[in-house]
Order: sequence, then C-alpha cells, then structure tokens
Amino acid sequence: MDRIRTFLRRPKVDASIARLRRRRRAAAILHRNLTKFTTALFIIGYTWMLLIPIPLLSQGTYIDENALQPAQVNTYWNWGDVHTADLHLYQLDGIIDRNLTSEQRAEFFRTEFSKLGLAASTQNYTFTTSKGTISGNNAYAVMSSPRAAGTEATVISASWLSTAGHGALNVRGISAVLSLAAFLKDYSLWAKDIVFVISDDYLHGMHAWLNAYHGTIPSNLHTDPLEHISGVIWTALNIDYSGHSFSHLGVFHEGLNGRLPNQDLINSFRLISHYTGGVPMTVYDHLEPADLVDRWSEWSVLPSWTPAFIRRSPQLQQYEYRARNVVRHIGYQARGTCSGVHGLFHQFRIDAITLFAVPAKGPHGFHALGKIVESTLRTMNNLLERLHASFFFYILTSPGTFLKIGMFLPSAILVSVAMLFKGLGEWVDAGWVREVSEVSLKGTGSLEKEPKTKDMWRNRRRPMLSVLITMVATHVLGVLVFNLLCSRRFDENRSFFVPAILAAVSMVPPALLLLLPKNTPEVAPSSVLLKSSNLCLASTVISIMSLLNFSLAAMLALTMGVPLATSSRSSSTTTSLLRYAAYCILAWGWLVLLPEEVESAIWNWEVLGVWFAPFICIVYAPLVMQAGIVCLQGSS
Amino acid sequence: MRLVVDRQQLNTMDGRPAVLPVLVCFRLLLAVLPLPGQHLLKHDHQINSPLTSYLRLKEGLWMLDNNVDPYMGGSFHHSPLLLSVFSTILPPIPIIWAVSDAVGAWALLRIWRARQGLSLHKATTSTAESLIVSAYVSSQRVKYASNQPSSCLLNPYLLFPSLALSTSTFENSFTLLALMFASEGKPSSALLAIAFTIHLSPYSILLLLPILMLLITSPTSQLASPRPFHGSINRIASLFGEFMLYWLVLVGAACIITDGSWSWMKASWGASLTLPDLTPNPGLWWYFFTEMFDHFRPFFLMVFSVHLVIYILPICIKFQHDPLYAAFLLIGVLGTFKAYLTLADPGLFLSMISLFPEVHGYLRHPIVTTLLHLHAAFLLPLQHVLWVSEGRGNANFYYAASLVMGMAGGAGLVDACWAGMRIALGDVKVELEGKGQVARWEVAQE
Repeated sequence: MDRIRTFLRRPKVDASIARLRRRRRAAAILHRNLTKFTTALFIIGYTWMLLIPIPLLSQGTYIDENALQPAQVNTYWNWGDVHTADLHLYQLDGIIDRNLTSEQRAEFFRTEFSKLGLAASTQNYTFTTSKGTISGNNAYAVMSSPRAAGTEATVISASWLSTAGHGALNVRGISAVLSLAAFLKDYSLWAKDIVFVISDDYLHGMHAWLNAYHGTIPSNLHTDPLEHISGVIWTALNIDYSGHSFSHLGVFHEGLNGRLPNQDLINSFRLISHYTGGVPMTVYDHLEPADLVDRWSEWSVLPSWTPAFIRRSPQLQQYEYRARNVVRHIGYQARGTCSGVHGLFHQFRIDAITLFAVPAKGPHGFHALGKIVESTLRTMNNLLERLHASFFFYILTSPGTFLKIGMFLPSAILVSVAMLFKGLGEWVDAGWVREVSEVSLKGTGSLEKEPKTKDMWRNRRRPMLSVLITMVATHVLGVLVFNLLCSRRFDENRSFFVPAILAAVSMVPPALLLLLPKNTPEVAPSSVLLKSSNLCLASTVISIMSLLNFSLAAMLALTMGVPLATSSRSSSTTTSLLRYAAYCILAWGWLVLLPEEVESAIWNWEVLGVWFAPFICIVYAPLVMQAGIVCLQGSS
Repeated sequence: MRLVVDRQQLNTMDGRPAVLPVLVCFRLLLAVLPLPGQHLLKHDHQINSPLTSYLRLKEGLWMLDNNVDPYMGGSFHHSPLLLSVFSTILPPIPIIWAVSDAVGAWALLRIWRARQGLSLHKATTSTAESLIVSAYVSSQRVKYASNQPSSCLLNPYLLFPSLALSTSTFENSFTLLALMFASEGKPSSALLAIAFTIHLSPYSILLLLPILMLLITSPTSQLASPRPFHGSINRIASLFGEFMLYWLVLVGAACIITDGSWSWMKASWGASLTLPDLTPNPGLWWYFFTEMFDHFRPFFLMVFSVHLVIYILPICIKFQHDPLYAAFLLIGVLGTFKAYLTLADPGLFLSMISLFPEVHGYLRHPIVTTLLHLHAAFLLPLQHVLWVSEGRGNANFYYAASLVMGMAGGAGLVDACWAGMRIALGDVKVELEGKGQVARWEVAQE
C-alpha cells in the first residue's frame, strides 16, 4: 500500500525526465546496435524461409464450409458411362488420325453436345501479340439446371493440350467431359447450371472463352459474343487426363498473378477422391515418399554417395518432399503464371482447380474419375454462397497439410523490416556530421597541459530533390525498356536489341550522376541519401507485395535484401566499377541469361495479362540499379 | 530531421519563371484531355465518399431534371447550393474543378505572403512563393526535402479527387479562401467563405474559432514567441454574429431552392452526423458502425462527433498566439478523424505544411510520417481490390489499411503539434556564419 502511495505521490516532473532519458537511452542502444539488429533480422527472415517445408510449421487441412458435405452422397456413374467414354475416346483417336483442323474439331464437339440436346455452340477467337496472331476455336454447351433459375453455374472443362507438356493431348479428359455431359443431364439434382467447355490449345482458348463470357474482351482479342450464356460461375473443375491410366489424382491450384482458390475446394476434393473414388490425391504430380518406397532415391536430390541412414531418414524425406512442393508453388506463383487451365478462372473470382491424372500403368481410369467428378459436382451443388470460409492465402505442403499465412508471411516481412531499419539508420546518419575541434578549457586547462579535442555533432542538410529525380529517372528507364521488349521490332532483331538495351541501361545511370550534386561538408552525401530512400522504397515494395503474392515477395527479399543493404561506395575505382557491374547483372542479366523466361513472361503479359514482366522491368530492375548508382557515386 | 531554412535565399532569388501560371495551365490541360482511367477514379472509394461523389451529384441532378425530389431516396447527400449551381448556371464540367484547384493554389500563395508579411502586390514571384504553389500540388517528400521549386510533382491526394470530380475540391478551396481572407484581414469575405465551407461540410465548424481569432490578430508567425491572446472578445462576438447572418442566409437560400422543404438538411448535414451510408472509405468511422448493434449507434455517433469538437478549445488555447497554426492543426484533425474521410482531407493538411517553413526544422519524425503515408497510399487501393474485386480478402483487410492511414494522419498531426510548441523553446546554440548571412540552427551533441 505504501509503495502504491509513494508511486502516486512521486513528483511528475521527475517521471517525465526519467521517461525522456529512458527513451533517449533506448534510441541510443538501438542506433548503436543497428547493424547487429538488422543482421539478426536478415538471418531470422532467411532461416524462416528455409524452414517453411518443415512439418512442424504446417497444420492439417479441414473443411470450413459446412454446406459442402463432401463424400456424403451415393454416386450413379457406372460401367455403362465408362463405355460411353471409351466410345468418345475411339472417336477422338480417329480425329487425331485424320489431322482435323481446330475449327473442324470444335464443330465435332459442338455436334456431340447437340446430340445430347444441350444448347451448344463454338467460339472463334484471335489474339494479336507482338509475335503475330494466335487463333483457335472453343466448343461449349450449357446444361440448364432443372431446379433453379440458372443464375449460378459450375464449369467442367478440358483443354486440347495437357498440362503434362511435350505436346501431350488431353484426349481422355475431353472424352470424360463429353460422357459426363451425357450422364449428368439425366439427373434432376442440379441446382446450378453446368457449363461444359472444351477449349482449344492449352491456355489461350479458355482465356478467350472466359473473357467473352464475362464481357471483358481486351483490345488485342478479337472474338464474337457467346451465343449461349448462363449465370454467375462460382466454381470450376478442369480435367486433365492424358495418360493411359492413372494412380493418383494431382491437384494444381495456382492461378494468374498469384491468386489461389479457396482451400475448401481442394480439401473437399481430397476427401471425395479418397472416400468415393479410392484414389489418393497428390499435390501436383509429386508422389509422396510413402508411395515411392523403392524409387525414392530416383526422385531425391541427395547424391547417391550420401550414407544410407541419411537418405532413408523419414524426416529428411518428408522435408525434401515438402520442399519440392513449396519450390514448385513458388515457381508458379512468383512468376504469376498459372499451373493449369484452372488458373484463368481465378481472375473472375471463380474458384477452380485442375484434376491431373498422374500417368501410370494403373489401377484407375474413367470409372474412378467419373465417380469423383460426379461427387465433387454434388458437393459444389450444395453451395448457397460463394466459397469464402476457408483460406485464400496458404501454401499446400502436402495433400493433407498446409501453412497458414501467419506461418510464412513473417519471413518476407522480417527481411523487409531489416531493410527499412537499415534505410532509416542511413537517413539518420546522413543528417549528422562529426567535427573534431580543439577546445581550450577554461579553469581546468591549467591542470592538463595538452589541449583537449572535443567532438561536435553538427547537423547538415539533406537535399532530396536530386535523389528523387535520379530514382524516378531509373524507373522511367525501366518503362522505356519494357515498352521496347513488348514491341515487334525487339522480337525481330533480338540479337541486336539485347546488347543495345544492356549497354543503354548500364550507361545511362552513370550519366545520371551528373545530376547529383558534388559532396560538400554542408550537405549530406547524395549516395547515402540515395541508399536510404532506395532501401525504404524497396522495403515498402516487399512488404506490400507479400500480401498480394507471397512467393514474389520472398524472391524479392532474396534478390534485393542483402545486395541493397550492403551497397556502398568503395575507395578504389575498380572495386566500385566491379560492384556496379554486379548490380547491373542482378538487375538486367536475365535479358541474356534467361531468354526463354523473357519470352514467356512477355507472352503471359500480352495474352493473359500477367503483370510479372512489367513489374520486373519497372519496379525490380530500377531498384537494383539505384543500389548500383550508390556504388558509383562514391567513387567519382 | 533538421532542415536549414534559408530565408535569405528564399526571399531574394527572383527571375525564375512563375510557377503558378505554368501549373494552372497544366491542371487545365489535365481537365481538357481525355485521360484513361477517369472512369475508375470516379468509382474509387478512396477519393469519393457518398457525400462528395460525382456520380451521386449526377444522380441528384438527373432526379431534379425529372421532377423527383433528390433528397427523398436517401442516396443524395450534396448541398442544395451545388445542385442549383450545376443545374442552372453551369453544367458539371471538369474545367470547374481545375479552376477550383487553381483558386486553392492561389489562396495558399496569398496566405503564405500574408504570413511572411510581404507586400500583396509584389510584381515578381519569388522562389519561395513558387514553392508554395507547387506545394499545393506537390508531394510531401519534396516539400520536406528541398526548397527548390524546380520540381512540381503533383500532390496525388489532392489531384486525384479533383480529377475524379469529387466535390471535396470545392470544400478545400473554400477552406483556403476563408483562411486567405482571414489572413488578409477581410472579415466579411472570410466569414462568407467559411459559411460556405460549413454549409458544404458541417465538420468545418472546427475552423470557425481559429478564423475568428485570426481576424482580430495577425497571421504572421508568433510560434517562436508565444504570448497571451490580445484581441478583444467583443469583436469576436460581433464577428460571430456576422457569420451567423451569412450562414442563415445560405440556409434560407437552400430552403428556397428546395421549395421550402427542410428535407435537404437531414440528407446532407444529417448524413455526416448520423452516418446512414456505410460505404467503406479511408476513415475510421465506417467499420465501427458496420459492427455495431443498432441500440448503441446513437451513443457512439455522439461520442465520435464530440471527439472531433473536443479538439477545438485545447488547440485554440495552446496556439492562441498563432491562430493560423491552430487552424492548420484542426485541418489535420479533420483529415484524420472525420466521418466520410477521403484522401482530399489529409491532402489539404499535407499541402499546408509548406506554409510553416519555420517549424520544419523541429519536426521529429517526418520520414516516419512519409513512410506511413507511402504504405497507406499503396495499401488502401490494394486491400480494396483484394476485398471487393478479387474476393480474396474481406472488410478487415481494408480496415487494416485505413488504420495505417489513421496512423499516418496521427503521426503528422502529433509531429506538427510538437514542432509548433518546440520552436518556442528555441535552440541550444545559434551561430551566424559570415558567408551569405545564413542563419542556421544547430544542436550540439556531446
């Protein structure tokens, strides 16, 4: 009681002074240990990224939306329907043998749908890109729901080419869609319209169809409005079955620009696949270590000379399996590409996945696939509102486990915070200059013979204008380069333009140096100011990007984190020139080193609207170049 | 951050091209050119609130044309004065917004001249004045960082609402006009302007007291030497009477325009007090009231409104020696805590920082404020897209972004308060250098 009383009686002035002192001391400690602090943040952030695949961070998946009720229905798909599918497959084989054109194919599919009594039509489309035009034909049919007004719809689709690549045709997927159309129309259970789409080629067919369906036709797409329209599409399943039979059903879920479907869709599909079809689900076409008991060493990245107890360690195998899934996920998401045709649906707020029949010698075929799709449709049919309950931000580490956003986001955020602190530290340092002056001490001077030197901290101006102009100029340069990359001339004279662009982007920043004022003691050196604002801007970009597209943010944290934080002027000109060259390669080296990536990124931008290519040219590369200018600025 | 304010240099550097005409021409050009994305801007929730949206204004005009009472449906909240101006005198064309922006920039310039005690009819435009002009349209970082006017980045918080034809542009211009007339000692014009402002947005009542105080004192900077208020209280009372007269005339005019009906009062003024439309905006109100049970609503509406009014007296008492600064701080309060906040409200506060170069050196954390604004400006549209268009996020995402905006506004406000009081304590050491007679404030640290 007495203690509380004395606490209350304590004179307020002292408390305020103590608080001010405490605050100043805390700031001083923070400033003195800033390097240690940021290094620790960097290390924690990067280690966290490495730890994302460990099972400890993951948790089990679960169904969040009660309406879904997965795997709770009897299915009616039977061997008779499998026979229909086989007949369609036989016809499709004939089509391939006869080498029909895209238009004739679409007409064939339309006739097949019409024979079933569905409202069917075809769609012709043409995309104009810098590399010429792409055209094709889609076929689609709308099955009106017997139970509702047709304001909502579900899509079942198959593309002509398979995700498997190497020109593999998705013939079995298409036969499955055709036979499912014949099968599903006999039942009166459907509360949503079912739209069957057989899209041309791999991605652009479905992209044209979806844009025409939603009336968002971009300027480079030429197509007529669709003849038949249904309601708002809520969910979609894309079937990809290119092999002879399959052992597992793989789920591909990444969409354009890093968007993911609601996790409830994947989770209910997993339960249905397991309990209704008896087919295990996998993530992508990666089989789990338990499924590859004998053959794991063929998959593993560990070289054969590592001791057997390491290679056979279940923990390590589990880590490697999950790491493989995470890396593949990041590969799709960071580039903003979709992992299959389903990814095109996401931009229209449609939750969609691709069911990939992992090619194998057995044991499953049309029978299991039909049952699973039927049951999944019944589950999606139960929905009363859009899928919203479960997660939209997650990393699927294995079929049954995932990471919540809180378990992976901090890794990138910590790196960005480290950069922010580093930038703020540079800003504070830029504002002060230390002056050593001789002070004649009055009175005490007689006791000490030698004159005392006294450190004076004097503040100086921090003119930001020229620094900001430099930064804006690098970004404008990025815009120019990006426009050049998207032009037809670049594509025609690649061998001339690539070195020309590289020369231009490495020569212009040194010219910008003339803009920056000469160093004087009156004002802070512009290289420090440039570094400070560069770090602050890069940190903002990373932390904001981490919400939109975590994988891209993590990649930015890797490529920009340490390099930007350690950019500094060097005393020798050669070293700084070398450093500048290193930053140039980090910023623009992909032009030479990864020509296929450049081509596909530009195709993705022009046709699918993936903003990865403009982001790299306009945001990422200029930020790295600014760090390069910091190195040059000091040396001159 | 310690910025050296080089007044000598600011005042004497003449002969540069006048920035105001150039910028005004630029702004007029923007109004005339068909810009891409204007359609998106008009639908953007960050820069249009239900009270200021151009689309709602058009809807009201359409209803008026078709002999429907615009205030019946509950979707129209603009003042009858705007309705009458745009239905009879002028159609709502973009050029009006550009002119309003130009008037605002001109008013800001005149306020600066009055505060610096410069002649009002000076022929040449000094460097500092062009800085002020660019400040109305320039971003905060440039203002902090430099006293060179050569760059005129446009202040996005003010430019975008104006391009989206949001009526907040008119509110801001009237506010600046009121402050301008008050600084120049023209009571009637100032009171009429503030009456218009309060008529358009009732929360501007916060600015009435500092404007009355400004009318009977001088606008020159007294921050460094605080002293008790020396004007006569009776004068304030008579000025207040004059203001009431103008205000009642405006109310009467509005009633005549709406055929003697009072329904417009509930629809336009009532909207900002009772918050009937919960369209999301960067402010802090809407989320609370979407979550609230109905029987708590009146109480919390009262709390939120009174919270705004509470700031008037403390700020006016603390800054009684410099009412212009008090008005500036109250604009900052409005730009943080107002109902139906749009980016134009914090934008006015940020642009006005340039009026007070003497406090720039005493701001404690301008870079933190800048970074918070940078984050907020990126996060608000992003979270809005995640929630509304992509469907990945939800209302909490956008509210988190608006909290960042609130933190940015709060940080700017607290820092401005700090700097305004800190300047009175003076510096530890003032040193005069021989070269060019540059006064520089220094703090010695051992």
